[in-house]
Amino acid sequence: MGQGNVVEIEGLTHDYGEVVALKNLDLQIPSGITGLVGANGAGKTTMLRLLLGLLHPTGGQISVLGHDPQTDPLLVRARIGYMPEVDCLPKDQTAADFVAYTAQLAGIPPREAKRRSSETLFLVGLEEERFRYLGDFSTGMQQRVKLAQAIVHDPDLVLLDEPASGLDPEGRVQMLELIRRLGDFDIDVILSSHVLTDIEQTCGWVVMLDAGDLLRNGPLEGFDELGTVVVEVVQHVDEVSARLRSNGYETSVEGQRLIVGPGDHEIERAVVEATATVGAGLIRMVRGSSSLEDLFLQKGEES
Amino acid sequence: MTDQIIFDRGYRTYDGPRSGPSGARRAVFKEGLRRVLGLGRKARYKIFPWSLITIALIAAAVFVGVHWAIGDIAESVGEGVPSYGGLFDFYSAISLLFIAFAAPQLLIPDRTKGVLSVYFSRPLTVDGYLSSKVGAFATLIGAFYIVPQLVLHIGLSLISDDGFLPYLTDNLDILWKVPLTTLAFVALHGALVFPLSSVINRTGIAAAAFLGVLTAGSGIAARVAEASFPGARWVSLLALDQHPRIIRDHLFEDTVDYPAEIAGFEVWMSVVVIAVLVLLAVVFVRQRYRKLA
Repeated sequence: MGQGNVVEIEGLTHDYGEVVALKNLDLQIPSGITGLVGANGAGKTTMLRLLLGLLHPTGGQISVLGHDPQTDPLLVRARIGYMPEVDCLPKDQTAADFVAYTAQLAGIPPREAKRRSSETLFLVGLEEERFRYLGDFSTGMQQRVKLAQAIVHDPDLVLLDEPASGLDPEGRVQMLELIRRLGDFDIDVILSSHVLTDIEQTCGWVVMLDAGDLLRNGPLEGFDELGTVVVEVVQHVDEVSARLRSNGYETSVEGQRLIVGPGDHEIERAVVEATATVGAGLIRMVRGSSSLEDLFLQKGEES
Repeated sequence: MTDQIIFDRGYRTYDGPRSGPSGARRAVFKEGLRRVLGLGRKARYKIFPWSLITIALIAAAVFVGVHWAIGDIAESVGEGVPSYGGLFDFYSAISLLFIAFAAPQLLIPDRTKGVLSVYFSRPLTVDGYLSSKVGAFATLIGAFYIVPQLVLHIGLSLISDDGFLPYLTDNLDILWKVPLTTLAFVALHGALVFPLSSVINRTGIAAAAFLGVLTAGSGIAARVAEASFPGARWVSLLALDQHPRIIRDHLFEDTVDYPAEIAGFEVWMSVVVIAVLVLLAVVFVRQRYRKLA
C-alpha cells in the first residue's frame, strides 16, 4: 500500500447474505476532501461502516489512516469523526452538553471537552443556541450539531453521511462551505452523498459507486464544468431574470420557471440574492444535469 | 428558510491527553447517572426520580422517629418494630418504581434516538457501553437502597442509649449485610429490566412490563406452586421477587415464609436463581446490542 493515502482498499467485498453490497473493490483515497457518490443502495453507508470497523468485510483488506479497522477498531475510531445520515441527537439535552459529551467519548478530558464544545458550536454557527435543548432545534440546526460532534475531538478524518440532507438551499451552501473549510484545518473528509452537485462543489477526489461496483475513483479535475439551475418563483420572474443577467448569468424564462447557467457553485447564492432583491417568492431551486451526473449516468448504462 | 449564519472563527487542534476507551466508558457512566436523575434536562425530567429519592429518605427518617418515640432500640426491635431488614420491605414499592424508571431511561433513548450510531463511532465497544450502563444502574439503585439505610443507621446511633460510637461498633455487621442485600435486589431486578429495556422501544411500556413480570408473574408462580402435580415445587422458584427477600431474611430477621422456602428450598437456591438470571440477561443483552452496533 502506498503512502499519503487516507484509505486503501484491496479486493473489498461485503454481502448481507444474498445481497452483495460491495463487489471486489480496489481503491485508494488521498488526503483532502473526497466525495463518495452513488444512488441510494449503492453501498455508500456500508463502505463508511466498514471504514469505522463496525462491519467486517466478507473479503479483502482495508487500511484507514494506516490501521486495519478490523483488527484495531478502537485505534481507528479514536482518530475518526462520523456524522451519520440518520437522526442521532438526544432531544432532551442541550447542544453544548451533547457535543461536550461526544468529545469525552473520544477521550478528551471533561473540562477541555466543554471548551471545545463551545468553540465547535461557534464554528458551525450555533454559539447563541448552544444552551438550547436539541428537541427545539430546526433540521438545519440539528445538521450543524451533528457536524459539530463529528469534529469536536480534532479527528484526522471525518466521515460525513449526507451532511446537507434536509437543508434549505442557503443552509446547504453554508454547510458545503464549512465542509470545504475542514480541509484548511488539516482534517481529511470523506463526504457521502447522492447529490452530485454537492460533490462537485466540495470535493477534489471522487469515488463513484453503483450497486456495489466501483464506477470511478479519481480526481474531480476535468469535471468542474457545472450544469444549469432550474428556479421556480411565485412572481417577478422577469425581474429576477434581468437581475441575474446583469450579474453575468445566462437565463431563459419558461412561464414561472427560470433556467440559469451554466455556471459555478456560486449560482445558487446569486439566485437567492436576486429573488430577495426583487421581492420574488422562491419556490424551488434544483441543479440540472452536470458533467458529473452525465458521467454517472453514462457509466451506469455501460455497466 | 433559516436565518442562521455560519461564522468561521477557525479551528483549534488538540494535542492534549486522550484517555481512550476508559474515558469513553467513564463518559457513558456519568451521562447515565445524569440522564436518570434528570441533570442537564428540563425540570419535568427531574420530578419523578427526585420525588422517589425524597420519599425513600423520609421513610428512613420516619423509622428513626418511630424508634426514638418508642425508646429503647433493642427492646423496640424485639417488639417487632422494623429496623434495617424491615426498611428494605418498607420502601420496596418505591424502589421498584425507581428501577422501572431508571433502566429504560438508561437504554431506550440512546437506541430510539439513534445516538448509538455516534457512540459506536467512538473508541467504545458494545461491552464497554453496556458495562458503563450497568455500572450507572448499580450505582443509582445501590445508592437508592443504601443511603436511606445509612440515614437509619446514623439516626439509630444518635438516639441509642448506649451512645453513638458504642452503637456503631456493636452493629458493624450492618456494613456488609446491607450491601449484600442490596446486591441481591439490584442483581435480580437488573437481570429482568435490562433485557426488557433492550427490546422494548417505549420507556413506559418497558417499565410496565418489568413491574408486570415481577409482581403478576411472581404471584401466578406462587399459586401454581401450591398445586399438587409432579415438579410443582420447582415452579415456586419462578416467583422471582421472593429471592432477594429470602436472602435479606437470611441476613436480617426472618419475617415471612416465601413459596420457595415452603417448597423446601434453602437460601442458596435463591442465590443460584439470581446468578442464572444475571447470566442469561448478560448473554441476551450483549447479543441484542452486537446486532445493533
